[in-house]
Amino acid sequence: MEETLRTLLRLHTTRAPIGQTPKDLIWTLNKAKLYRYTPVVSEESRHKVPLLLIFALMNRPTILDLRPGHSFVEYMVGKGYDVYLLDWGSPGIEDRNLKLDDYTLDYMPRAIRKMKAVAGCEEFSMLGWCIGAILTTIYAALRPDDGLRNLLLLTAPLDYSDKQSISFARWVDERYFDVDKVLQAFGNMPPELIEYGAKALKPVENYIGNYLRLWDNLENPAVVESWHAMNTWVNDNIPMAGATFRQLIVDLYRGNKLINNEMIIGGRRVDLSRIRANLLNVVALADHITPPCQSESIMMKVGSTDKELFRIPGGHIGIMAGSSAAKRTWPHIEAWLAARSD
Amino acid sequence: MSVKTEPSSDPFEAWRSMRDATMKAWADTMVQAVNTEAYAQATGTLLDSYLTATAPYREIVEKMMTQVLQLSNMPTRNDVIGLAERLTNLELRLDDLDAKLDGIIEQIRRENTDSRASRRAAEEGR
Repeated sequence: MEETLRTLLRLHTTRAPIGQTPKDLIWTLNKAKLYRYTPVVSEESRHKVPLLLIFALMNRPTILDLRPGHSFVEYMVGKGYDVYLLDWGSPGIEDRNLKLDDYTLDYMPRAIRKMKAVAGCEEFSMLGWCIGAILTTIYAALRPDDGLRNLLLLTAPLDYSDKQSISFARWVDERYFDVDKVLQAFGNMPPELIEYGAKALKPVENYIGNYLRLWDNLENPAVVESWHAMNTWVNDNIPMAGATFRQLIVDLYRGNKLINNEMIIGGRRVDLSRIRANLLNVVALADHITPPCQSESIMMKVGSTDKELFRIPGGHIGIMAGSSAAKRTWPHIEAWLAARSD
Repeated sequence: MSVKTEPSSDPFEAWRSMRDATMKAWADTMVQAVNTEAYAQATGTLLDSYLTATAPYREIVEKMMTQVLQLSNMPTRNDVIGLAERLTNLELRLDDLDAKLDGIIEQIRRENTDSRASRRAAEEGR
């Protein structure tokens, strides 16, 4: 009993050590940081084309490097890729006017320039997950000649036409959600509201079932440590820059501008047919945050000739960070990239 | 031939199965509930009411704090925000310089490689 209480106390009062794969900071701008993971494979055996990972704006990117032995980053570094991660950091009130335009046309090109200089390669692969996929898609369409060879999209929320299937679309409908009032009060979209929104999609599972699962497995150290790592990440949300959040709600959730080639970024129309990079589009079939209907239609819009839609059982986070990710999702991504990275 | 199964040694197994079945039913009901227009309207109204009710308080606190800080000769929130924005602009310009430096270094490296290659070719020609 004492041991159980001690374990419970530790799990709820400490942070699990996540994001442990060795890396070097090679570039910063404002809160954004670009990391290069320390290669473990010799340069001669490494893939020539570096891989840049871009995650969502309101969560920490450590989900890509959750814990030793269960880390996508560690896996790809071990397979001989030169892996980079763009960590957006946590925006302050001074960043409330940052828009998707700034992220895609200022921060990303600068980070990519530095990555190319360090990697010594003019071409690169880029993986975008969740809102990271929105950013990478916009970038790929507006800067197709920047050296992007391979574009990987994971659970990409690009198409908002089927509003009945998208829970968030109902919640942020203009009849119910005054986005300007929220942003006037807080500046940025607060992490507490973002966290509530994500957890309320499956309230019983997230607020009760999650803890019952822990209780049932307290004698199993592997399950306990896995729970601790995931719980640490899940509860570490960050604010979203106010202007970006407004674009997400008004231009995407309500206006569905991106998939219809109506989105204006930096004064230019985002035309998805200008995307020419090789494309791997990974869709999670049990994704309740970004249902498959949001991710699939991009396949008909891009100008890429080499493109694959990979549908896989699993949830929004589970396909990359769950127990079967290392057996299914990661090997498929790696095999696809390996054929296109030399 | 019938197969005999051993009875489970866990006295709580039956209770656990009932618990899990109840939780699943409750979870499914709640998922349906949060996907209704009524829920969207209710949460929207709740948030809107909170923002409306707290707006005057937030305004008063902000005005008071600004006055207190100014009277104390201390930077206000807007002063700090302004400084942060200028710092970001500085960082942008530093990054531009860094890009130019990288370009120059790369140019020098290429020229060195080219001149070494042409010297080698000239020596081999002799």
